[in-house]
Amino acid sequence: MVSTDEIRRPAEDRFAAELTSLADADGRAGNDRPPGWLLSPRAVRAFVLGDAELGVSRKFYGDDPLVDRAIVSLLGRQGLMLVGEPGTAKSMLSELLAAAVSGDTGLTIQGTAGTTEDHIRYSWNYALLLAEGPSDRSLVPSPLHQALVGGKIVRFEEITRCAPEIQDNLVSILSDKQLMIPEFGPNARVPARPGFNIIATANLRDRGVNEMSAALKRRFNFETVRPITDHAFEVELVSGQLTEELGERGEEVEVPREVIRLLVTAFQELRSGVTAGGTPVKSPETVMSTAEAVNVAFAAALEARYLGNGVVSAAEIARQISGVALKDNPEDARRLRFYVDNIVRERARTDPLWKDFFRAAADLWH
Amino acid sequence: MPPPISGTDRSAGGVLPEIDLPDRLRRALVLVEQLRADGIHFAPIRHHSPACSVALRAQLTDLAPAVILIEGPEEYTHLLPQLIDPGTVPPVAVLSHHREPGGRTTTGFYPLAEFSPEWVALRSGAAGGAEVAFIDLPWASASRRVDQDAESRSIQQERHLAHSTTLQALARLEHCRDHDELWDHLFELRTPAELRNWRRVFGDVFVWSALARSDYELPVLRGEGSIARESLMAARIAEHRQRSDGPVVVVTGAFHTLALIEALAGSDLGAVVREAAPQGGHPPAPVDAGSSWLIRYDFRRLDALGGYSAGMPSPGWYHRVWAGLSGTADPADPADPTVEMLVDIAHHTSRAGTSEVLGVADVSAAAAHAWRLAELRGHPAPGRTDVLDAVTSCFVKDDAGPSPALREALEAGFTGLGQGSVPAGTPAPPIIADTRRRAEDLRLNLTDSDTRHTSLDLRRNPRHRRRSRFLTAMSFLGTGFARRTAGPDLVGGTGLGLLYEEWDYAWTPMTEAELLDLAEEGSTVDEIALSRLRGLELAVDTTAARRSANHAVQVLIQAAVMGLSEHSAGLAELVRTHLQEDPSLASVISAGRRLVGLRQARDQLDLGEAAWIDDLLTRVEPVVAYLLSTLGEGSVEDDEETVDALLAVRRLDGDLAVLLRPGQERPTGSPITRELLRLRASPNAAIAGALTGLAVVDGSGTEEDLGAGLSAQLRTGADVERAVRYLTGFMKATPDLLLHSPELLSVVHRALITLPAEQFLGYLPELRRAFTWLKPRETARLAEQVTALGGIDARSDDLNVRHHELTAADLERGRRLELSLRESLAEDGLADWTGT
Repeated sequence: MVSTDEIRRPAEDRFAAELTSLADADGRAGNDRPPGWLLSPRAVRAFVLGDAELGVSRKFYGDDPLVDRAIVSLLGRQGLMLVGEPGTAKSMLSELLAAAVSGDTGLTIQGTAGTTEDHIRYSWNYALLLAEGPSDRSLVPSPLHQALVGGKIVRFEEITRCAPEIQDNLVSILSDKQLMIPEFGPNARVPARPGFNIIATANLRDRGVNEMSAALKRRFNFETVRPITDHAFEVELVSGQLTEELGERGEEVEVPREVIRLLVTAFQELRSGVTAGGTPVKSPETVMSTAEAVNVAFAAALEARYLGNGVVSAAEIARQISGVALKDNPEDARRLRFYVDNIVRERARTDPLWKDFFRAAADLWH
Repeated sequence: MPPPISGTDRSAGGVLPEIDLPDRLRRALVLVEQLRADGIHFAPIRHHSPACSVALRAQLTDLAPAVILIEGPEEYTHLLPQLIDPGTVPPVAVLSHHREPGGRTTTGFYPLAEFSPEWVALRSGAAGGAEVAFIDLPWASASRRVDQDAESRSIQQERHLAHSTTLQALARLEHCRDHDELWDHLFELRTPAELRNWRRVFGDVFVWSALARSDYELPVLRGEGSIARESLMAARIAEHRQRSDGPVVVVTGAFHTLALIEALAGSDLGAVVREAAPQGGHPPAPVDAGSSWLIRYDFRRLDALGGYSAGMPSPGWYHRVWAGLSGTADPADPADPTVEMLVDIAHHTSRAGTSEVLGVADVSAAAAHAWRLAELRGHPAPGRTDVLDAVTSCFVKDDAGPSPALREALEAGFTGLGQGSVPAGTPAPPIIADTRRRAEDLRLNLTDSDTRHTSLDLRRNPRHRRRSRFLTAMSFLGTGFARRTAGPDLVGGTGLGLLYEEWDYAWTPMTEAELLDLAEEGSTVDEIALSRLRGLELAVDTTAARRSANHAVQVLIQAAVMGLSEHSAGLAELVRTHLQEDPSLASVISAGRRLVGLRQARDQLDLGEAAWIDDLLTRVEPVVAYLLSTLGEGSVEDDEETVDALLAVRRLDGDLAVLLRPGQERPTGSPITRELLRLRASPNAAIAGALTGLAVVDGSGTEEDLGAGLSAQLRTGADVERAVRYLTGFMKATPDLLLHSPELLSVVHRALITLPAEQFLGYLPELRRAFTWLKPRETARLAEQVTALGGIDARSDDLNVRHHELTAADLERGRRLELSLRESLAEDGLADWTGT
């Protein structure tokens, strides 16, 4: 029997209760909703940043003004472009905004080097096309097409991985706010309904990404999502994500808070290249993002559950960091060893938690 | 811990909610009423806050006070006539100097912008005929500078940290990124009508600050000097209350208001402040302005201040906002500060000449964005951070943040480029008058601001020497007053043989402005120069690895040329230490050379006997000798440098001998000479070659010795690389020898001719280089001599190269190639190119 469970349900399903509660609050307060939006801008903000009174959880940490600016960008004529290093929750933010504004996160174009015009504009059911000629039935609308028609947000993930000529399809669609369909006859167009906008995400500095043309950049407001610098926030976030990922298995394994704090400390220090005390450390090339930290924690939890005693200790973290965090760069192994040899060794003298970490790490790399 | 403030109601626009006040505050509010009945009214403000200024103006209009008391050093009361003069236009500041017993000067600035509540108080008071006075501790008062022990300093730091942590937590609750944004959110961004409700505004500001104040521990308050200051202020308020009829308004930073209320109303909580009064009561107010002066100021310096004078950030922004708030804007054309700011930023960025051009579309998008952000955040109009956010969203098109052009534009817009002015004839800090007088005493011509020239005879004219020292000091401090156009530069070590020093100078308003900027470092030019020198001294890296005799000597000489010779003597110790540990021969040689220059200029610098210079010179010798012994471990690439070093050492040795052992004909017996002798036998061929040549020049060696040496080095079977290096060293050190000694020339010639062809070609580059040290004319002469030696007539064709290996087949091939080339060109229509 095939399971019909999904690994990850869309945000509008997971948080359906919160969205309903926010919509009700809007109704009671008589807040204005922009045309095509399901919630008022303040309610969207509350959905992302949390509202204790209405029982809405905080989902995005570390940069509240960014969320304000993103919401306001979506109210205007420009699109929203979220840029930043991998693992900074750009896609998550894009999903949350689409869920709150349009109630639909499914209108997503997933950008790859193989993305073609058809994925962005429309394509055809060729059998029907041959049988009936161009018609609504034979046209296969892209997510963008559906968003225009439905007055919803379309999400374009990893836009810079598409070839520049493909990206530029968006230029006139976004200026004119309409899609021309010449196959349907003269002046056939799909106008954008109120509520239409686009949220794109891009990683501007990775390998395999293309340049964006200046004309396309002008159609977007750029917002840079930065890695979290607040330690407490990140601990909160990692704990929360870990609980979610573990799901039911969470009952079977215990993850003490200090261990998560140690993990976050290590990640923040390696990421920023300097310890809390000001000592410089060598930063690995691989991006030490919060997402990676969650992966490490998850792997450590699994190790503790299936190969250990059910309690995650700093030793499991140490073992999993090398596997999860270090990718193909041998230099990174050396940099991590530097960190262990200098910083962790010092701390191991007085702190039992770091001592566990040190011992496990020393085993691995010496 | 302040009581929790639950989410504020944004729809009413930035109003503090009803919160549960702690007991102490509730009682304080009762005391406020009590004092009000007695005619004492408080205006608790934040420095440089436009919102507080609007509220204050409304309060002053309503109350029409007889007395206005302002938080500021008491002696400033005597500057009131200048402050209220219509020619005084903000931003201005009062500059205060205080010389500590140890000789060090401390300086303070009390800045005033158009939108500062204190400024509003001054001007309104003047207009309304009220008596205005400053009531804080004088700047020079010892109670301002409390001695703190380590423990109390650490409590202070903790308190400040905790306070800022609380504000951070509050800020986060309100989705603000820092406490400045929080203040804007809760106070600045009220509508003008709301701000004119001064009771509400001051009530909220009072609660805001009192909550913070009530957390501060007593030792911290004492340590900061707050208690002492409040004690005086309370006493002065009481005195004014006694003396005058009519309302008294007290304008102070909100942090002090709670303490003042409790002290004045006789509450037991105010006992600490009351009892802080000295035995016998407070001294009477100063009778004059003392060491304080009104000067013009600029927004940039206002923005950069911290501590006491700090207020709101981005004065450029609040300046624009103030025009609208204060009602000075034209009601028919109310400017929107948001749009104005964005337009200015766009223009500024576009003018920078990069490809980044921001046009009307960008500005309108940003303006709309700012207004929508304001609406989302519950502000009646865009605030500072709303506009900054709009710029971030709409003007920046990648992940690197604002471009340099945009950054500059942001600074120009938000910090502001405004400068104030003070009326002509306002007394200025003494440094300007003192410096001018000194220049006039030296008979420099300052009748107008034209550039003048002066030629100084340093050897023979004592007044010229004094002038030189003054001009050097003014130039060192960057006043722009004087520029040396020619003459010996003892610090740089050049032109030491020149007799005259030439200077251009001009006393312009720029000079006065620069001196004014320097005023914060001291009260005379010499004092400031000394302080800068001390800074340089400290900056000379004192880690053992970086000891540099050269740097140390430069600082010492800088002191001497400015006439600060006592300090020079003190710096000698610094040089001694550096000499001991400097590992670099080049640095020590440079230092030695400069010291020689200094010694030679001893008289013109009026240094007197200056035994300390001779002492330093004596120490240089053995150090150089020691470092010389480290020479010789170089590779071919270092040869040039090494030989240069040898030449420099030789020169230095000569100079030192003349200075330290006058009367001796030749430098013999010095540690350096001995070391050089030893080095002649160095395994490093370049050194050996150079030194042997030099020995001939000095007369301590003969040409025959040199010839024998060269033959030995260059004979067949000898190591070619060594030979070439020897030759190179010799040619670099003493190139003329070859020209003037036919025997030497024939030795070298024979050696080079007999080199195996392959090796000759291999060393050709180095050999070529060896001969580049000659001047062109010398090269020509040498060439003639060489061709004569070789029996070749330079003018004949013997020097033309002829190939004899070409065959008929080659000719045939060449002909065929030419033919096909011609055909090809003709096909392409380029027959003209062949020239036929």
